Amino acid sequence: MNPSWRQEASVALFLAVMALVAWLIVGHLFAWLFLATFVYLCWHLLNLYRLDSWLHRGRQLVTPASLGVWGELFNHFYRLRRRDRERKRRIAFLLREFRDSTSAMPDAVVLLDSLWEIMWFNVAAERLLGLRPQQDLRRRIGNLIRHPDFVGYLRHGVFDEPVDIPAPASPGVRISLRVVSYGSDQRLLIARDVTRLHRLEEMRRDFVANASHELRSPLTVIGGYLDAMRADQHLEHDWGVPLAEMEHQMQRMLAIIKDLLELSRLETEAREAPFAPVDVPALLQRIQRDALALGHGPRDVTVDVKDQAWILGSDSELFSAFSNLVFNAMRYTPDTGKVTLRWWVAEDGARLSVADTGVGIAPEHIPRLTERFYRVDRSRSRDSGGTGLGLAIVKHVLQRHDADLMVVSEPGKGSTFTCHFPMERVAREARTA
Amino acid sequence: MDKLNLTHHISQKFNEELEDVRNRVLAMGGLVEQQIVDALKALTEGDSTLGRAIEQHDYKVNQMEISIDEECSRILARRQPAASDLRLILAIIKTITDLERIGDEAEKIGRFAARLAEQERPTSNYREIEHLGNHVRTMLHDALDAFARLDVEAAFRVAKEDERVDGEYDALSRQSITFMMEDPRTIRRVLDVMWSARALERIGDHAKNICEYTIYLVRGKDVRHTGFEAMEREVQDRR
Repeated sequence: MNPSWRQEASVALFLAVMALVAWLIVGHLFAWLFLATFVYLCWHLLNLYRLDSWLHRGRQLVTPASLGVWGELFNHFYRLRRRDRERKRRIAFLLREFRDSTSAMPDAVVLLDSLWEIMWFNVAAERLLGLRPQQDLRRRIGNLIRHPDFVGYLRHGVFDEPVDIPAPASPGVRISLRVVSYGSDQRLLIARDVTRLHRLEEMRRDFVANASHELRSPLTVIGGYLDAMRADQHLEHDWGVPLAEMEHQMQRMLAIIKDLLELSRLETEAREAPFAPVDVPALLQRIQRDALALGHGPRDVTVDVKDQAWILGSDSELFSAFSNLVFNAMRYTPDTGKVTLRWWVAEDGARLSVADTGVGIAPEHIPRLTERFYRVDRSRSRDSGGTGLGLAIVKHVLQRHDADLMVVSEPGKGSTFTCHFPMERVAREARTA
Repeated sequence: MDKLNLTHHISQKFNEELEDVRNRVLAMGGLVEQQIVDALKALTEGDSTLGRAIEQHDYKVNQMEISIDEECSRILARRQPAASDLRLILAIIKTITDLERIGDEAEKIGRFAARLAEQERPTSNYREIEHLGNHVRTMLHDALDAFARLDVEAAFRVAKEDERVDGEYDALSRQSITFMMEDPRTIRRVLDVMWSARALERIGDHAKNICEYTIYLVRGKDVRHTGFEAMEREVQDRR
């Protein structure tokens, strides 16, 4: 038996013995027994009262002292409360540390609940997002950050990529916002200052565009003289081959500059392509004719149109993207090979695929294909006349049409490039488009 | 914190409807703000494509106005709101009208910008009008912030800004008159600039109206056409 219970029993026993002794001396057994029970009850009530008032006071750590079960009980309470206080202190410390570290963070952090209401934010959020402490709690974030891009981002509900907008408080500052979901229905909004990056990016774009422009005019002059020299019969014997090579290289440079300008145009224009109806089947026929007119590559170019669907987008951009894919296929496929263009509408959107039976691409190159000037085989591709920018253009055009590019390839067997357009870019009925 | 108990309704659905429609008004406000930014950019950078693009975006603002209007009449008919809820709906109906007009003014500036971009630029490079434009843009931004936060003091401050905008517009028109007298060949261009400035000044007026609706919404008193002293009294009265 537990020692405290033994003690309790001995207290009860002591009282009973006292009652018996009193009975032997004075008589009146029941009166004495009643008295002993009464004393015992009073003692219990007293302890109960002490416990209750101790619980009421709340702040006191030290419990009253007592005998028996009550002593044990008081000890239990004491230990419980001490443990509780330690835990509370530790949590408070952790919370303070967390708050200190988040407010020291240079990025703005806002906690949002399922209705997009602000639960908490750090000091950087006051500065970057113009939020006001206390006053802005429980307000919807969309009411205070109202830039259309951000509102659209929230409504869209796809948070894989951050969104860049000018800071609401100071228009000169550019911020990048990102939503991260966590817990059951909570969101974290992280904003960071990307002004410098944005400016650098702008400078880089301007530089590429300006440099390409500046390079074009001297090249045109050189081209003019080259033409004249090639027409000259006297030079033909000694200089015919070098002149032809010079002409060829100049054409290549012009092609690169044209692609660079196209790329920088795609980058500077609005992020979304317009929603003008584009007749894809007719576009593919046009590209097929152009491909066959190239004068190299396979003669077997087929167009397989399963659905007469149109795309809502930009005609010239799509033409440039698709023809880049087809000309690439022509370039890397032997004359005996085959290039197939397919266009069909699936459940989740429209697909355009360009399949060839050419040399194929090793898997390690596929993720880097759309980088500018990335070449799988340096020696060969340069001879084949590519600029190294074709797939970068394709990637940009598809991005502007909310589309993805998928590449499946097996070295030696051929490659398939598939463009995947989302349903909202597809006009099912050609007549209504 | 909120003097209006927008979040304490027996019907949770009603709460959400009110908050949603408020949210949409502010989203529309964001769109209009962007229109002004674009219009100013088109004007100061001589970007005629951007100027014309604003015209095409105006339909979005109009569409939002119509859909919010419909939502408001639906709430009025079905919920029959009273007191602050009714004031909220009324304030929203008025606010969107002003926002739509601001959108129209921005479109107008875009059109002038496209025309001005094809002409010779003045030596001042539209610096004055850019300043006026930024002033007005901040005004609208703060007016919408005040509406979002139901902050009457901020609303009053913004409404008072309108006087300064009017002053700036006056100075600009005086300057334009001097230009036109100096060299009559510039009249056409200067007139276009004047019209743009006029549109900006109107945007300032509309922003002021939005502030008045906010004060009406929170305080329940109509402060239109009462002058600044009466407005100030109303704002500071029951803090």
